[in-house]
Order: sequence, then C-alpha cells, then structure tokens
Amino acid sequence: MIDGLSRWTVIAITASVAVLWIALGVVFPDSWAGVTLSVAASPGTHTAMLRLAVPIALAAIGGIFAEKSGVINIGIEGLLIVSAFSAVIVTFWLGSGESTFAVSHHWWGLLAGVLVSTLFALLFAVVCIEYKADQIIAGLALWLIALGLAPFVSRIVFDSPNTGNVGTFDNVTIPVLSEIPLLGYLLFDTPPQVYLMFGAVLVGWYVLNWTSFGRWVVASGENPKALDTAGVDVRKVRYAAVILSGVFAGLGGAGFALGQLGTFAGGGETDMQGRGFIAIATYLFANYHPLGALAGSFLFAGLDAFQLRIQNIGYAVPSELIRTIPYVTVILVITFVGKTRLPDAAGENYESGED
Amino acid sequence: MAQNRRRFLTGAGVAGLTTLAGCVGGFGEDADTEFNVGMIYASGGLGDNSFNDMAQSGIEDAQDEFDLSYDQAEPDDEGEFDGHQRDFAEGGEYDLITCVGFAQEDALAENAPEYPDQNFMIIDTAGIEEDNVRNYVFDEPGGSFQVGHLAGLLTAEEFSAGDGETNPDEDVVGFVGGVESPLIESFEAGFTAGVEYANDDAEVISSYVGDFNDTSGGQEAALSMYQDHGADIVFHAAGATGVGVFQAAESEGRFAIGVDSDQSLEEEDYADVILASMVKRVDEAVYTAVESIVNDEFEGGETEELGLEDGGVEAVYGDTIGDEIPDEITEQVDQSRQELIDGEIEVPDDPDDV
Repeated sequence: MIDGLSRWTVIAITASVAVLWIALGVVFPDSWAGVTLSVAASPGTHTAMLRLAVPIALAAIGGIFAEKSGVINIGIEGLLIVSAFSAVIVTFWLGSGESTFAVSHHWWGLLAGVLVSTLFALLFAVVCIEYKADQIIAGLALWLIALGLAPFVSRIVFDSPNTGNVGTFDNVTIPVLSEIPLLGYLLFDTPPQVYLMFGAVLVGWYVLNWTSFGRWVVASGENPKALDTAGVDVRKVRYAAVILSGVFAGLGGAGFALGQLGTFAGGGETDMQGRGFIAIATYLFANYHPLGALAGSFLFAGLDAFQLRIQNIGYAVPSELIRTIPYVTVILVITFVGKTRLPDAAGENYESGED
Repeated sequence: MAQNRRRFLTGAGVAGLTTLAGCVGGFGEDADTEFNVGMIYASGGLGDNSFNDMAQSGIEDAQDEFDLSYDQAEPDDEGEFDGHQRDFAEGGEYDLITCVGFAQEDALAENAPEYPDQNFMIIDTAGIEEDNVRNYVFDEPGGSFQVGHLAGLLTAEEFSAGDGETNPDEDVVGFVGGVESPLIESFEAGFTAGVEYANDDAEVISSYVGDFNDTSGGQEAALSMYQDHGADIVFHAAGATGVGVFQAAESEGRFAIGVDSDQSLEEEDYADVILASMVKRVDEAVYTAVESIVNDEFEGGETEELGLEDGGVEAVYGDTIGDEIPDEITEQVDQSRQELIDGEIEVPDDPDDV
C-alpha cells in the first residue's frame, strides 16, 4: 500500500470506475463501454476464465506452501511443464479413451503427471535443503531443465517438439443444478480440473491455517530456530512443504494438460506460457493467502479470456496492446494493493545446531 | 488389462531404445557424393509438421534425384544462426547452404559478403542482394486469398461434412494469427480479401494469440469466434497454436483451415474438420535451388517468387472431407485462382489495405 492512499480509497476508486462502466454500458449498449461489458458478462468469458485459472491457482497454492516454509520455489513453472508433459505422454502410452482398473487412462495420466512433478520437487528440495544450494539459482535450473527436457523427450517419442493428441476430460454436468443461472454453468457444468482447483485451494487454505502442520510451515519460514527449539525438525517440515508444492503444481499442470490442451506444444515457452511465473505474482499480491491467490488467478485468467474476445470485436486498438491488458493489470494491482511481507527466513538455508 | 500393461511396457521399451538410437545416430555419412548441401533450419526445429519438415522433404527429394548428400543444423534460437552459417561456409565443402526462414536474414546479410564463393539460398525474405545469395519468397496473400474465397463461399451455404457443419444464419469466418509480423499479417490480408471477394456481407474476425506454441490460446480465441460470433470456418497461421484452433472446431462441430502443409494429413486426428490447407511448397524452393546448382545454373542476387501459377502456394482440399465441398464452389475457387495468376485480382499484403 503506497502512502497517502488508504485501502478504502483504492476500493472506492475501483468501485466507482466499475459502476460508471456498468452504467455507461447498460445505457449505451453500442458504445465501447457497452460492448466490453457484454464481453465481460458473457458465459463464454466466464467458463474460459475458470479453465485458464486452473494452472495458475494450483501453482500458486504450491508456491505458497514452499515459500511459507522458507524455500522460495521460483521453479514452479518447471513443475507445471514436467507435469503437463508427462501427463500427456503417459496417457498417450496407455492409450487414450480406454481404461485400466475401471479408471480412465486420463486419470492415470493425471496421477503420473503429479508423481513426476512431485519427484522434481523432491529433487529441488534435496538440492536446496540437503546441499544448501541458492534457492533462486536452483529454481531457475528447475525451470530451464523442464524447458529443455519436455521437447527433448517429445522429439524422441513423437519426432517433434509437440506431442500427439490424447483428447481431454469431458465436462462434468450435474443434472438440475446445472440449470441454475450463472452458478449452474460455472460450477455444475465444468471440466473436472476446475473441481480439482476449488478442492485443492480449500484443502491448501485449511491445512495452512487450521492444522498444526500449517503452523509448523509458517514457523519454519518465520523463525526456524524457534520451531527447532520446540522440538520440530525444520528440515522435515521444509521437505514436506516443497514436496506439497510439487503435488499442487502437478495437479495444475496435469489438470490443465488433460482437461484443456489434450496435447503439449514443447517449442519456445511451451504450452505453459509462463503461467507459473504469473502464479508467483498472484500469491505475492495475495500476501500468501490461498483464497486471495485463487481470486488473483481469476483476475489474470479472466482478463486473458477478455482480451482474446476484445480482439475479436475488431477495435482499431493494436492487438499487441490489447494482449498486454492482463500483465499491466497485474503490475498495477501489485503496486497499489500489494502489502506483501515475505516470511523472515524465506530464501535462507537453516542450519540446525545439533550436528 | 494384461494387454494394457504389455502396451505400456512396449511403449516404455521403444522410448528407451529410441533414446539410445538418438545418441548413436546423427553423425552423418561421409560425403563422397558429387554435391553437398548444408541445411540450417528455422528455430522451431525439425518435427514441426510444417515449415522445417517441408524444407527437409525438399532436400530428401533432391537426394533421391541427384548424387547428393546433406548435413543439417537445428538452431535453438536466433543467436545461433550466425555460427551455423559460418561453420558451414568456413570449410568450403558445401555447394549450397540453405537458410530456412526470414529470421536468418540479418546473419546472412553479414556472412554472404565474407564468403563470396559460397552459394546460399534463403527462404521467406527478399532482402539480400548479394551475388551469391538467391532469395525465395512465397505469395502468401495469393494462397490465403484462395482459402478465403473458399471460406467466404461456404459460410453462406448450408454445408456439413465430417464432424463439422456451417452456420447458415451468420456469414462470419475467423482468422487466428500467431505473432503479429508483416509475414503473418499478409496471410490475414489475403484471407480477408478472399472472403470479401466471395461475399460482400461476410465478416472476418481476427485475433493474434501472441505465440506459436500456445495451444490453449488458439483454442480460446477460436472458441470465442465459434460461440460468441457464430463463425463457422476459422483459418489459422499460428504454428502449434493452430492445433488449438482444430480442437475448438472439433468440439464445436465447425470447420478450420490449416496452413503451410496439408494439415489434414499431418494432424489426422482433426481431419474431420479441416476443410483445406493453404500449402506453402517450401520443399519446391529447396528442390529448385539444388537443381539449379546441379545444372550449374544457380543465379544469386535475385529473388524468386513462388506463387499460385507454379504451385508454390495453393489451396489443398482436406484429405477426408475436401471431396464433399460442392463442385460449383471449387469451380469458383479455381476461377479466382486463374484471375489471380492473370493479375485481374490485386491482393493486398497488409490487413489495413483490405
């Protein structure tokens, strides 16, 4: 929060701009305000927002656990990449559209994606906790390794940096409930990874705030010495937190890959398109609150869905500029709303006095 | 069950073996052939199912025909072009060095004068005037006009084939681009001009995803066109992002048009919705250049445009559903092709001029 602007002032300004926009939009439906309002209010934009938020929200929850425990995991993008890629390739090998043990191969693929991501997180934890490597460098390495490994393996299997097509999960449609206006199509007629996202965010929020493990994680990031004195092994807590970040990010990457992409393009930035880094920005401006991070991921994903649709309307604004809307907004929000306080011991390796 | 487990093991085994093969292969055969060509691909690398693979199939065709061997380099990013060009040129053992993609222009503009005895060819740029460089460009606006004409005619009809059908209520078609650049915008310009030529009432909506490897971006852009605007045909010039366009077409039961190669063959999972592809015969360009070397007719300092007349660009109908397009429509598309060749139709290469 910058000086001289109280939280309420910011909220009041934002709210009056929004009210003005909606009023203008309703009164003049053909004006700029009216057209953008109709885009923002369309069900297509909302469902796209939910789908696009999945990798961001889940990666953010994972990042919160790691960073709260004192290990900054900026390699979360790498975890998204390896989980998305391995989910697709395992589903492909098993044969998409079939099932083993009465469970569809897409779900086995999801499981594989989460496992691989967890394995990479474990590797990262060993490097950072056991060998006390610099967390930022190790995190970057994690991302770069994933960025190279996915297209490399894909080239061996598919002879191309892009994998074959495995199709996606079907929407879960709950009869009757899906007929409810707004909530119906948002919550009761949506692909399964969206439920995964909501479930995981709630679990993350509960574990972090209401369990003793959650308190240990927070203590391990704020004051590891005190935690150690209280007889809790800081090393084990940090291991568990980083591995959890692998599980959450894995759900995000694999869920996005099997629920939306159905394939994985490994060239350039890959299909993840830096969403792991957006996730980091998201949980920072939510000040490590899991529900705030979910809201932040809706903001970014919603604006992303919005900008594609605004381009389609064909305003004379260059599409390059329209595409920057989500990024500019995130920067503005971080500047004005953020009052992020990093955990005191974040980024520092903890040396227990015992040995 | 046991069947599945076996399939998994086979899959894993094949993957393991290919890894090994990948490690030992690729050292190349000794060049005791008469001609030797160096290939430097665009940064997408081989296996892109379009641009680079087309260039490779061109050199393979040439190898079948002439006493020829070739070496290839797959740069990961633009910074490596210069090094690879120099590596190939330094030894003087190559009769021709092929630079695929306009991104190699700057590096080649510097290197060509330094190796005046080395012959180069470059694809997708007309910018190098050195005597030892032959430029090849394609008439993307013309080819895109052709698929635009097809889309403009079909969107007004009631037509269904494969997994798709048109939306006779709305005359709306879409264009999804990868990154804004003069090259990709020339696809959009040609496409839009073609649609308008076919049907004055038709509307073209277009958006740029901002990346060539963003499947979900392509998907969401196209979904919005199909769902919110009632579009029934979307043309993409967006590399791997375009797969997202095909997925959206499949899930909405609409049509898409591919680019660069015949994508109804390359992306066969979506052949049921791919009406046609705007094919760019990069393989032709490579083959022609090699042929000119073999026949000692290579002429540098010139730009060769491959267009509709010589089949350098063309609208290729989808392998699965292309046959179902009504004859009166394909006849009109053939006719506009002739008019384009004869210069009776002018196609802009900037969307602002349409």
